[in-house]
Amino acid sequence: MLNYKKVLPQVFTVSVFIALTLFISPIQSMAQEIDLLLKGGRLIDAKNKVDAKMDLAIKDGKIFKVASNIPATESKKVLDVSGLIVSPGLINMHTHVYAGSKPGFTDGTSSQLPDAFAPRSGITTVVDAGTSGWRTFPDFKSKIIDGSTTRVLAFLSIAASGYSVDKAQENINEMDAQMTAETVKKYPDILVGVRIGRYETDDNWAPFDRAVEAAKLSNTPLFVECHLPKYSLEDQLKHMRPGDIMTHAFENVAERMTVVDEKGKVRPFVLDAQKRGILFDIGHGGGGFWFNQAIPAFEQGLLPNSFGTDEHRTSMNSGMKTMLNVMSKYLNMGMGITDIIARGSWNAAKSIKREDLGNLSVGSVADIAVLSVNTGKFGFVDSGNNKINGDRKFEAELTVRAGRIIWDLNGLSAKGMAKIN
Amino acid sequence: MRIKTAGISEFIQHQFVQIVQGITAVLVLILISSAVHAQEIDILLKGGHVIDPKNNIDSKMDVAIVGDKIFRVAKDIPANTSKKTVDISGLYVTPGLIDMHTHVFHGTDPNSMTANSYGGLQADAFSFRAGVTTVVDAGSSGWRNFPLFKAQSIDRAQTRVLAFLNVVGRGMVSRFDQQDVSDMNPVMNAHMINKLYPDILVGIKSAHYWGDFTSVDKAIESGKLANVPVIVDFGEHTPVNPIESLFMEHFRPGDIFTHTFSEINGGRESIVDEKSRKVKPFVFAAQKRGIIFDVGHGAGAFNFNQAIPAIKQGFLPNTISTDLYNLSMNAAMKDMSNVMSKFLAMGVSLNDVILRTTWNPAQVIKRPDLGHLSVGTEADIAVFNLKKGNFGYMDVRRTKISGTEKLEAELTIRAGRVVWDLNGISVPEWQMPATTN
Repeated sequence: MLNYKKVLPQVFTVSVFIALTLFISPIQSMAQEIDLLLKGGRLIDAKNKVDAKMDLAIKDGKIFKVASNIPATESKKVLDVSGLIVSPGLINMHTHVYAGSKPGFTDGTSSQLPDAFAPRSGITTVVDAGTSGWRTFPDFKSKIIDGSTTRVLAFLSIAASGYSVDKAQENINEMDAQMTAETVKKYPDILVGVRIGRYETDDNWAPFDRAVEAAKLSNTPLFVECHLPKYSLEDQLKHMRPGDIMTHAFENVAERMTVVDEKGKVRPFVLDAQKRGILFDIGHGGGGFWFNQAIPAFEQGLLPNSFGTDEHRTSMNSGMKTMLNVMSKYLNMGMGITDIIARGSWNAAKSIKREDLGNLSVGSVADIAVLSVNTGKFGFVDSGNNKINGDRKFEAELTVRAGRIIWDLNGLSAKGMAKIN
Repeated sequence: MRIKTAGISEFIQHQFVQIVQGITAVLVLILISSAVHAQEIDILLKGGHVIDPKNNIDSKMDVAIVGDKIFRVAKDIPANTSKKTVDISGLYVTPGLIDMHTHVFHGTDPNSMTANSYGGLQADAFSFRAGVTTVVDAGSSGWRNFPLFKAQSIDRAQTRVLAFLNVVGRGMVSRFDQQDVSDMNPVMNAHMINKLYPDILVGIKSAHYWGDFTSVDKAIESGKLANVPVIVDFGEHTPVNPIESLFMEHFRPGDIFTHTFSEINGGRESIVDEKSRKVKPFVFAAQKRGIIFDVGHGAGAFNFNQAIPAIKQGFLPNTISTDLYNLSMNAAMKDMSNVMSKFLAMGVSLNDVILRTTWNPAQVIKRPDLGHLSVGTEADIAVFNLKKGNFGYMDVRRTKISGTEKLEAELTIRAGRVVWDLNGISVPEWQMPATTN
């Protein structure tokens, strides 16, 4: 006979044990489920039309969950980001990162290492603006792109060698639409378009046409950084297709007509181009951003689609400084934070047809910028060495690339306060 | 009468002419002198608090620059004597900082650590934005590849780049290369320094050696021949070499121990005892003997468990430096001003921090022309904002301390030229241009 009095407690114990095991183990696995939880921040995600206080959970390098209250107990690591902005990792649309030891940009000392400026500015993706061409791209890829923590994408120059100081790059025979398009198609994960650069000796439209042709053949946007007085701004815009990008939008130099006329009005054909779908990138650089262009343009509705910095040796220490500094200029010119973040992330991603980037959708790669907006008295300088004053400025507190913390300004993710035994 | 009258009239006329001539002369003199005066100064930094340890200045002073030189440091230099006046009230003015430990031999050798490699960074990308005007490369190149370093990096930099030559001829290619005793040639090292590049090469580096004192001794032999200090990264020895012997027997006064606050189990002996957390007594004795202790923060060489007890017990490093390279730049180190702010957070005074990043390193590398604001010296100047707030500072283990202050470089001047201006304090305000209708 079964002695119930003896067995029951045992059955009970076993049942409780089984129940607890069943019950606790999912909690335990849930507690381990999230790798990193950013808690309490203002989450701005233009793609998903979110601008609210939301928690963001990261697991296995991907965005795992975005919700208004994710319990801290579900994550291995929790960071309190209250008071801070949680943004998709920023995309710098105009950089020169084919850094090397030659003079000039291509494999040269005028270019900058992506990891040297991107993480500290909340940038997780940089787009190289044609510093390589079809002949030099494999070298660029193996030397810089493959080994960088920052994601490096690129526009391929229509000139085979890229953007060297070599006049040979201006030789029309070096501009092969077919080879350029084939190279772009061969590296779809990296190459996002074609760039037409500074061609100062040729006065026909062949270089420009070949670049457009390469962009058409590869079904990618054309990035226009063209300083040739004989190509009028109006004609350049006419040659561009919707989705093509004009950089140095607000420059004021002799080599290219300005977007704003002498009366302070944005030229009607420029506004028409914007309406037609031509995109304008800032491309700040050392000489490419002037308040006498940008401010009237902003007031009259000609807005930058992206905040490319034109990062290079001489721009980095000028009025440009960092992408966050460039974004802060617009913050103090009157653009809203939500709008700025959108243009620094989702708009940029869309323009290079990389809709996997620049957003915080569940399942997307966990590229994230946590930004503070500091208040105080700040000044912002343009390429003409004039300044505007402002009271707010972006700063990168934390940068996460594929789930890994690659920048932490104030030790937000530090293990704990230092204890001296 | 007529004559007399004429005489009087002539006399009066003469007097009058003299007076007019005199007045004119005085007026002309005033005009000339004021014109000269008004044009005399190129840049006037007005109203800042000057910290210039060499000259014992720690007070509100104006600094005037003419051309590429310091022209005058005094209270209340009139703004109308300068072409350009920058109001820096509320800010600190210091000599341009010297970062004693960096790796800036940027290049493309994929198999190299910091010699002609991506591990080495461009000086200009990190210096000016942190108030640094001089960096010293810590042995990235040796005598064989220094000319390449010079052509490729030093000559193209706006930052003043000085260098310690690696004791190994081919520089810091890899840890393996650092073991090649046959490539440690004191005579060639000394020739390189004395005969070819005395203006750039300031010493010899020994690093990453696995064996006994051979690498250090070869460096010191080179240093004796060239009459320069050596800087030693004393890691990776198996078995661990005693630092007391390094400090008291091998080093000469003026030789430099870098990575002072590293704490690594095995391979390296710490200056603070890991159990008692007391600074080892011979460390104080070594510093008294003239041994130089350099921070060299880096990616793995700065530990609060060493630095905080040492500072509490009265041991301060002689020089504060970054060990800037690709692995340290985005980690706890970040940049020179961050490392300096970390020392402020640990309780070191601003004066002590500035001394250890200006005049001290200048003396250590025997460059008394640098690291101060004496009249007539090259105008390398940093202007800092000492921000107040809540800041965090990490060590290489990613533990942190909190601080209430942080140095931020507002303005950096190299040889009289503004090379960094964070908030545009040296430029005019933009105004909407008048439109023509």
